[in-house]
Amino acid sequence: MSPDFLTVKDVSKNFDGFIAVDQVSFSVEQGEMISIIGPNGAGKTTLFNMLTGQLRPTAGEVYFRGQIINQLPPHRRARLGMGRTFQIAKPLIALNALENVMIGAFLHRRPLSEARDHAYEILKEIGLASRALRRASELTLSERRRLEVARALALDPQIILLDEVMAGLNASEIEQAIELFHRLHARGLTLLVIEHNLRVVRALSQRVIVLDHGISIAEGGAEDILRAPEVVAAYLGRRREWTPS
Amino acid sequence: MSSTSTDVEELPDAASASAGPIKLGPSKAQVVAQYLLGMGVALVPFAVLYNDFYWINILTFAYLMAGLASAWNIIGGFGGQFSLAHGAVFGVGAYFAGQMCLIYGLSPWLAMPIGAVLVAAIAVLISWPTFRLRGPFFAIATMAFNEVVAVFANYSETLTGGARGLLIPFRASFANMIFVERWKSTLLMFVYMAFVAGISVAIRHSRLGYYLLSVREDEDSARASGVNVVAVKLWGMAISAALTAIGGTLFAMFIRFLDPPTLFSLPEVGVKFALLSLIGGVGTIWGPLLGAALVIPLENFIRATLGGLPGVHLVILGLLLMLAARFLKRGIVGALGAIRWPRWMSRR
Repeated sequence: MSPDFLTVKDVSKNFDGFIAVDQVSFSVEQGEMISIIGPNGAGKTTLFNMLTGQLRPTAGEVYFRGQIINQLPPHRRARLGMGRTFQIAKPLIALNALENVMIGAFLHRRPLSEARDHAYEILKEIGLASRALRRASELTLSERRRLEVARALALDPQIILLDEVMAGLNASEIEQAIELFHRLHARGLTLLVIEHNLRVVRALSQRVIVLDHGISIAEGGAEDILRAPEVVAAYLGRRREWTPS
Repeated sequence: MSSTSTDVEELPDAASASAGPIKLGPSKAQVVAQYLLGMGVALVPFAVLYNDFYWINILTFAYLMAGLASAWNIIGGFGGQFSLAHGAVFGVGAYFAGQMCLIYGLSPWLAMPIGAVLVAAIAVLISWPTFRLRGPFFAIATMAFNEVVAVFANYSETLTGGARGLLIPFRASFANMIFVERWKSTLLMFVYMAFVAGISVAIRHSRLGYYLLSVREDEDSARASGVNVVAVKLWGMAISAALTAIGGTLFAMFIRFLDPPTLFSLPEVGVKFALLSLIGGVGTIWGPLLGAALVIPLENFIRATLGGLPGVHLVILGLLLMLAARFLKRGIVGALGAIRWPRWMSRR
């Protein structure tokens, strides 16, 4: 339990004058399960991309496992133990599911056969073993989402960042996914989740961080946070005082 | 004969799959057996025609072009980087060997590896900035590089003999890679093709091969999987360029006359490597070889029968490419894979 597992300090992102993320700070302990919520356009994915290296922050620092990682490209962060999924699943569509996962498995496993076996173990764990030799282009939406998670897991990560992996799944698929993430968490994996579905947020967060207009407006336990007036206001708008004319 | 494991037969359901060992992809022995079988088939025309004065030349050229297309396919097909600079790479390899032979009397067997390393280094330096460009922009930039090298070769008399060209004297010996008997050159080209195809097979079934495929499919996604995209592209380019330069050396000692129009012509050289791969099946192991096996004899046939109309073979090749792009999106290899073979002919 290192206190500085993942720390975000005053991180901002300015896109040509549009401030997408404004001085956000928080930290994640190893083994925690945290979600970031907020209305559309609140800056969640931008923040995510700064953690994984897709974007570089305009200001502020990101620390991961005692190291400042602001300038590290995504593949170096993957090597440090960071796995991610993309909001819009990005499978390698000409490859089969197994090969998709193998790409990640090669990071820490060299002979082809070992990477292949490891990738197959992960597909089994995630319930895609029967689809292993299917091209990614033939998979259904929910299978593609699971493939994203499998690819992230193939990196033997310390933390995985899940960007709306449940979007578009039906209720029973969501329950299966929640069960999977609980299993992974129980094994010591740290989870950082962006999610809209409140059922998922309740199930998957020991702590919730709320973003609105790029600003972190609240942080705390799931039940408290979801009832906090400023959070409700951010999602639903503020109640205006009714004045008789 | 398909080598990609993406189209292997379907698995049984998960329950029975976990019961016994299942087939996740070809084993090493299967890959080697497939390769040897392919090379054995490729050697058949040589065994039949080695004494035929007309066909042996076509065959020599077909083996050479198959090797060159296969070399291009490593970065162009596996890596998806549509390089049109390989004509320049080929030409520089040819000139280097030719001049080493003429000026220092160096055996091409020695000039060949030195040239390959040198050319690979140049290719890496050129690709470093151009790899920032994606898709068609990369193709255009590399095509421009080919043209720059062609113009340079035309004007720098001391390096290349300029427009007058270089003539390598006919001194037949094994050390000079020049043979009185044509079939020896043919066999040499076959060995070259087998060498390139062997490296191509090894790469396709290695980490580098999978990384190249991932870069072709989606760079952002590859990065998130821990792939150093720039390094992977540079390795792919270096290997591809080195193999292409070796082909250039072999060509130089076979033709023994080097001039810029022969070496740097886009339709005859730089684009040809890509075209053969596209017709045969880009990004597959056997595609570039099948493309050469089909197109090179066809081209010669057209030249022989319609030789009175200059450029007509290019028109026909263009049409062939259009038809391939329309009807064979994954080339000959893709079309063969789509056929429902009778059960006794299927792979396993």
